[in-house]
Amino acid sequence: MTKALKINKNSEQGVLELLKFLLESGKVKGVFTLKKISKDGAVAYSLITKSDELKDAVPLFPLMPVNAGKLLSRFTLRGETTEPVAAVVKPCELRAFMELVKREQGSLENIFVVSSTCGGVYPLKMAVDGSIDKNLSKYWDAVKKAEIPTNLRSACKGCGEFKPYAADMTVDLISKNDIDKQCLIFLNTEKGMEFAKGMKAEFLEKELDKGKLDKFRSKREAEKKKLFDEIETKMNGMDGLIEIFGKCIGCHGCMRVCPICYCKLCEFESPDCEYKPSNYEMELKRRGGLRVPPDTIYYQLGRLTHIGISCVGCGSCEDVCPVDIPLSIIFKKVGESVQKMFDYIPGKSIEEKIPLITFEKEEFAEVED
Amino acid sequence: MKKEEEFMPKILAFLCNWCSYAGADLAGTSRLKYPPSILPIRVMCSSRVDPLFIIKAYLAGADGVLVAGCHPGDCHYDKGNYYTRRRFAMLKKIFEELGLESDRLLLSWVSASEGTKYAKVATEFTEKIKKSGDNSVKKEIFL
Amino acid sequence: MSISEPDLKNKGAIISAKLGTKQAIIDILEKAMDKGIFDAVLIPMRVPAGDSFAYVLIKDKSLLKEAFPLPPVMSVQGGHAVSSVTRLGKGKTKIAVVMRPCEIRATIELSKLGQTNLENITLISIDCPGVLPISDFLSDPKKSIKLFDDAVQKWDDKIMRPVCQICDKSSMITGDIHIGTLGAKKDSFFIISSSQKGNDVLDKLDIALKDSIDSWEAKVKIISEEKLKKRKKNLKELKSKIGGIDNLLDAFSQCINCHNCMRVCPICYCRLCYFDSDKVKHPSEDYLQRAESKGSIRFLPDTTLFQMGRMMHMSLSCVSCGACEDACPMSIPVAQIFSMVADDTQGLFDYVSGRSLDEPLPLVTYKEEELHEVEDAND
Ligand code: SF4
Ligand code: SF4
Ligand code: SF4
Ligand code: SF4
Ligand code: SF4
Ligand code: FES
Repeated sequence: MTKALKINKNSEQGVLELLKFLLESGKVKGVFTLKKISKDGAVAYSLITKSDELKDAVPLFPLMPVNAGKLLSRFTLRGETTEPVAAVVKPCELRAFMELVKREQGSLENIFVVSSTCGGVYPLKMAVDGSIDKNLSKYWDAVKKAEIPTNLRSACKGCGEFKPYAADMTVDLISKNDIDKQCLIFLNTEKGMEFAKGMKAEFLEKELDKGKLDKFRSKREAEKKKLFDEIETKMNGMDGLIEIFGKCIGCHGCMRVCPICYCKLCEFESPDCEYKPSNYEMELKRRGGLRVPPDTIYYQLGRLTHIGISCVGCGSCEDVCPVDIPLSIIFKKVGESVQKMFDYIPGKSIEEKIPLITFEKEEFAEVED
Repeated sequence: MKKEEEFMPKILAFLCNWCSYAGADLAGTSRLKYPPSILPIRVMCSSRVDPLFIIKAYLAGADGVLVAGCHPGDCHYDKGNYYTRRRFAMLKKIFEELGLESDRLLLSWVSASEGTKYAKVATEFTEKIKKSGDNSVKKEIFL
Repeated sequence: MSISEPDLKNKGAIISAKLGTKQAIIDILEKAMDKGIFDAVLIPMRVPAGDSFAYVLIKDKSLLKEAFPLPPVMSVQGGHAVSSVTRLGKGKTKIAVVMRPCEIRATIELSKLGQTNLENITLISIDCPGVLPISDFLSDPKKSIKLFDDAVQKWDDKIMRPVCQICDKSSMITGDIHIGTLGAKKDSFFIISSSQKGNDVLDKLDIALKDSIDSWEAKVKIISEEKLKKRKKNLKELKSKIGGIDNLLDAFSQCINCHNCMRVCPICYCRLCYFDSDKVKHPSEDYLQRAESKGSIRFLPDTTLFQMGRMMHMSLSCVSCGACEDACPMSIPVAQIFSMVADDTQGLFDYVSGRSLDEPLPLVTYKEEELHEVEDAND
């Protein structure tokens, strides 16, 4: 039986209470969480070391300015943190971090992970026009009732992985009807229990209710199917790809914000993708014309083969795309199809090897001649 | 009367140095008959073939892409071809998902002594590609 | 001023355009290809889905009929397009490039920066009415194309991007040939040459530069003066809003570090940006220390440092094209901020980015007697 922590405050206040305790008791040196950082309410991830700075923190704010997995990787890229830091992140951000750690782009050592069952986040566009605050009460209402809030990003609407796999603590949110009065935090690991020790709160013997989550999952899966079916009609060969990606402006923002794309210099920005005039001359001879800069489709196909296996479906790519290409659905659909081949859920467990760096001797006979 | 020219596909073949390239060589020196459609590129191991090479060839308009290496268990570098197989399977899946013609991609194991097999693979793949016809991507300008 | 005016002052050719300017431009290009003056043309075309435009390098003349000079959006800055074709050197292909004036100016800056080879390139600019914000355009491409056409008819910039509304260089001639639609009689436009290359091309096309362009010049003068006034006013207002470090931090508080702005900027040509390099990746202790000194830091930190660094690196060459702002997912007025800074920094050296190939980049040259105001007065 797992233990749980009950705090008689609304969920966000409860989490803040926990973070405050962790900081003040010296169990952690810093807290990594979302925080309001400007007078007009911009929300960004912050590293907080003094507990009074927590007053502007909004750990459960439904926005993903940047995938936190990418940020935690940056934080621990040059070596593990020697001082413990608590990080409040969403399940897909945690999975992204795990994928990065597997790729030696960060370290879990001394990172204390607090996550939650996740109701999804709003698009960045709504952070820009300031409409998230106005939607907050509707959002939490939906989470309570295990519904999918309208206006959510499509990546979130169709996300079946809303329950964190490897968090030390999980905040109970989905389908908990008293989240505005009571905060329930499950302690999943030894470390979780260790860190909670000494906190002034009620300790319960309680398990996360799988049944209610399954119900929610089926709603999300139904939504996902809708999104996948819709995109499938468009992904019909080269013509379809050109229809979808024709308006791409080549900013590579999708790559830059993707937590899995960690390369120092992306292949598609490297000299490999710069061409000599003679290359152009050859292409012109063959095709009569060529879009420049070239490689719009090559870039997308390439990125799919590079990171599809580890795409956590976080939706960051789509969120930054200035021309609204439904990237997250495309990457998620193609990603899941290859992940399924290897029975792999990216970021689920740190022990599972990335499928492309391992093999079994007897497999995939069907792709051989 | 001039016979209408038959479509001869252009197939790019990545052949591993230790097995398939030698196999192709043997097919040649044994004067086995196979079509002139194959453009071989020698790589040290089939695992050297980055999926990007295959994509690039496809986008450049190759009518078919063949990757050939040693039989599983016989890779000169012990396990290279097992990785090749995984990557190839993944790429094929991605092609299928996107509705691209995954039939234009082929993975085959050909050992150094299998000149006959090489000729057979080349012939059959060529026939298959002939049926699929020209890769229309070679004329596309909005890539 | 140190720049000599083109010697062909007041002369051009009036071209009749019964089927519209677009068609007439295409006809001229086609004729030039027929005569072998150009082997290829780099020009925007509508993408197959019809929801945007892209630069296409056209060799097959039959594609020319689908060319779309002066599209309603700037999906890619033309300077980028030219650079991607000629960055590694000149080819054998003689290419005509049809772009907006700010794109030509970016091309010229890139050439000075060694990122573009103009030897076999003929630059053709067109009077520019501005472009729509890409997000506005995408919300309804069909309707937007119509709205844009109407706006062009009236030369009304209300629906154009904010930087376009304050662009005083929308008819600036810095390439080889310019197409002037302002001040022209109905169903006609001016062709103006501004270089020897331009002269040669027009000569081979039997286009004689014998007509007066006074009416074009007069109209351009009025419009650019108006716009310059508005530019000064708007940028001054902007400065009062975002001047000072706190306001600047606030202006970029929503920035998510995606670096889209840098990537689409024609001037930011570096393969690996300093602000994406290892130089900005620090050990966790450093981050913690910085947090401790303030109680809390934004993570990643240095968002504003990136913006200021980018200003240092490229504002002297910024052409106020607006590409950065279009690409910013957080709708930060990046291009307006950069234009504001650029006007100041370029003003310091009496430099106008992309004005002329002969003007050296300010930071690769110096005068012995200059800028004493930044020196310590005691020296
Ligand atoms: S491809 Fe998109 S959805 Fe997938 S991990 Fe990267 S940013 Fe997230
Ligand atoms: S697309 Fe490929 S090369 Fe580029 S950053 Fe992602 S993984 Fe690296
Ligand atoms: S973010 Fe959008 S526009 Fe930019 S490269 Fe990716 S798909 Fe293209
Ligand atoms: S900073 Fe912005 S406005 Fe200036 S040249 Fe670059 S993209 Fe254009
Ligand atoms: S495009 Fe906008 S959000 Fe992205 S780095 Fe530039 S200013 Fe920041
Ligand atoms: S050496 Fe032949 S497949 Fe590795």
